[in-house]
Amino acid sequence: MSVTDPAGPLLRVTDLVIEFDTPAGRRRVVDGVSFSVGEGEVLGILGESGSGKTMSTLAVLGLVHGRPGVVGGQIELRLGEERHALLDGLPEMLSPGSVAGSVRKDDRRWERHVHRRMRGIWGRGMTAVFQNPKHSLDPLMTIGRQLEESVRLSEPHLRPDAAGTRAIDWLAKVKLTDPARVHRSYAHELSGGMCQRAMIAIAIARLPQLLIADEPTTGLDTTVRAEIVELFRDLMHDRQRAMLYISHDIREVLYLADRVMVMRQGRIVEEASASDLERGVGRRHPYTATLLQAADLPVGEAA
Amino acid sequence: MLALLAVTARRLGAALVLLIGASFLIYITIRSAPGDAVDAITPMGTPPEIKAQLAAEFGLDVDPVTGYGAWLKHSIVGDFGESLVIRPGEEVMAMAAPRFAKSLLLGGSALFLCLALTMLLSILMGEPTVRHQGLTGFLYFVTAAPSFVAAVFFTQGVNEFVRGVVEGSGYETPPWYPIPISTESVMPYFFAGIVLVIGDGLFMDMLNGIRAEILAVRNSQFIAAIRAKGASTLPHIAKNLIVPAVSAYVSRLPLVLGGVVIVEYVFTLDGGGYMLLEASKQRDFPVVVGLSVLFTASIIVLNLVADVIRTVVDPREVARGG
Amino acid sequence: MEGKSHQLGLWLSGLVVAAVMLLGLVAPFVPYDAADAVSYDQILVTPSFAHPLGTDAQGRDVAIRLLKGTEAFFFPGLGAALVSVILGAIFGAIAGYSEGLLRSLVLGFLHLIDTLPRLVFIILVCTIRDPSIPLIASVTAVLFVPTVATVVRQKVETLASEDYILAHLAHGFRAVHVLAYHILWLQCRPLLVRQGAFVFGYVLFVETGLSYLGDYGVQEPDPSWGNMVAQVRDLAGLSPWPWLVPSAAIVATISGFLAFGNIVAARGEEVVR
Repeated sequence: MSVTDPAGPLLRVTDLVIEFDTPAGRRRVVDGVSFSVGEGEVLGILGESGSGKTMSTLAVLGLVHGRPGVVGGQIELRLGEERHALLDGLPEMLSPGSVAGSVRKDDRRWERHVHRRMRGIWGRGMTAVFQNPKHSLDPLMTIGRQLEESVRLSEPHLRPDAAGTRAIDWLAKVKLTDPARVHRSYAHELSGGMCQRAMIAIAIARLPQLLIADEPTTGLDTTVRAEIVELFRDLMHDRQRAMLYISHDIREVLYLADRVMVMRQGRIVEEASASDLERGVGRRHPYTATLLQAADLPVGEAA
Repeated sequence: MLALLAVTARRLGAALVLLIGASFLIYITIRSAPGDAVDAITPMGTPPEIKAQLAAEFGLDVDPVTGYGAWLKHSIVGDFGESLVIRPGEEVMAMAAPRFAKSLLLGGSALFLCLALTMLLSILMGEPTVRHQGLTGFLYFVTAAPSFVAAVFFTQGVNEFVRGVVEGSGYETPPWYPIPISTESVMPYFFAGIVLVIGDGLFMDMLNGIRAEILAVRNSQFIAAIRAKGASTLPHIAKNLIVPAVSAYVSRLPLVLGGVVIVEYVFTLDGGGYMLLEASKQRDFPVVVGLSVLFTASIIVLNLVADVIRTVVDPREVARGG
Repeated sequence: MEGKSHQLGLWLSGLVVAAVMLLGLVAPFVPYDAADAVSYDQILVTPSFAHPLGTDAQGRDVAIRLLKGTEAFFFPGLGAALVSVILGAIFGAIAGYSEGLLRSLVLGFLHLIDTLPRLVFIILVCTIRDPSIPLIASVTAVLFVPTVATVVRQKVETLASEDYILAHLAHGFRAVHVLAYHILWLQCRPLLVRQGAFVFGYVLFVETGLSYLGDYGVQEPDPSWGNMVAQVRDLAGLSPWPWLVPSAAIVATISGFLAFGNIVAARGEEVVR
């Protein structure tokens, strides 16, 4: 893939560390994770719940809440010629001491700082589709209004009626039957699968360079899951955008991703091309081997 | 739109049922008077013809259900009879309504101020942290003061302190006070409003509730999704806070409109609360009942307004069918 | 972390609650003849060893009046809190668990009581019946049943569909047992403590408020924190002790109980999560 692009990868994450304070004390949920995504590439992140995969992607999005949150590492996003270092200034915001014991001096200042920096990046740079589609949509606004919000941000000069037509186009593009009805519906009037399609339409209507899909099929019925995965496959076909696809389902990840990263207990334990994993080529980490076995796939050589 | 109207109509019906129910509750309370009901509710030495008139008005001479019907028939059109003591012979409705309107304005605007303050404070404070402990403790202490204690601090405390300082520095006793006691200016209303806002532990109750709602909306997944697509979150957050704010407002009304009684008495404001207490002390029964019904009805009407706002803002209300 | 942040508040408010409990329990055993305590040669004495909180305009010791003043609200307040919590829990559980007509009836009844303006209704009752603190406390208890019931109902509604509750029912436990023990006792206890503390605070507010106004509360010479504050009207700024001490006691008690209840409820939520 385009990882060897001379301009460097689209997204590069280096030594990311995330910690949270829990009643039982400080817990490190992401422990020195590094990875990169090239332009047009699909990187799959595989792991059980609590492995830190969701937290890593939320950190990329600048949406980690809680204390102390992101305490170390670098995240770099390249948009055309511009390079954005998303965690710039973080060390200065941490109180002195070792990384392990560090606490941010002023959480609200850091949050404002991140939000200001992300303002130009959210949307056209990267955007996200989360699990639990029904909770991802504003309950008080029609799907159409929310989608038009996206369309207008991408194409500010569009006239209102043109924005409405464009919104319906996007709804048709995510294969919703009867887009006009969905356009005037509220989230509570739609099924989970329909909500997720609408959510995907809202996300890609921003024409992002990087689409982050965080367990987008979790909680949906099996048949609906298959349809959503198929939709992602179709959408990635033209390679107009890169994608980070997070899931705990190895089959989904192998079907969609070019490259796969396996996470466990906050660390990356395996990184391989999807085709190698699928065909059982190369040495495998024991945890990956277990996952492959459970899915009835050839394990290859267990390390 | 049609569904919206249907839900609103149903809400209106429910409010009417509630109004009937509440008035029946008030009537039953009247009938629970010990001994001879007419004697219990009138001052000593009331002439017998007035007693007979009262008994007829409140249906005290027949069984409760018939009596309630008779009472409801004229009270539902706002005819609560005539005052016995405080302004003998005057129509209760004519004398009580303007006073009551003042109380409603005072209580309503004080509660609104409380809501606005708690929202502002919640936004400023953000996520709860250890650093807020001192502030929270201070707020608990300051706002727990019952309205009369707060009023004492405001009127007696501040005024006496100023008088002491002025006299101590060799001047004569000032002819004015920082907090006016006369009923003529708007200042007493202003202070009464402040006292209502901070008094009776209401503020902390409201702050805790509103803060939790704001945090829940701000940290909800759809706000994260709106951020991620690069749109402004403010209109979404604001719209999603309308319903919790309206609910918080109406649910505290019974407490605040009750609190108005004491506040008006302490500041000697000539509102409905003051009149209620005066009438109660002098056993001017028709006035007490009339004002009680007015206070209760206003709460039911404001609840109805809140319901309509909720239905308009939140489409899920229509789906739930009200 | 969150738990720790409440620690100081819990200790402080717990201290207030404990102190009020102690005063309230001790007060009935302390002999005091309110009519006999007047001594005009000891008027408005500032705090000393003999009078730790000074004396009022009639030479009565403020400290002992403060102690005896707890009698006016302590047991009525506890009783009202208990009654509204028990009734509220029962009605809330019924409203949250039942369906159809019964649910609508209970909800309607609760809503009905909830629309009555609290103090206005108390004054209405005081006009009709002989006003007394136990009467006022009983009316308060009834008026706060809906507030308690709403909290319990919401909890029951969310829990009723939880798997472990369904599992208990499937295992053959009776619904009443599951409701009373697993939902009300194990899950709602902190919330009920909070609501009880709130009702107690409100009874204190109404009692002292009415005693301050002077017609329906505790009458002189019997002491109430409310009529002690009311003395401010006769003092003309001569000595702050007779009214400042009971004012501070009222504020400390109400804020202490409110904070205690809220912190207990917040910690309960954390433990459940």
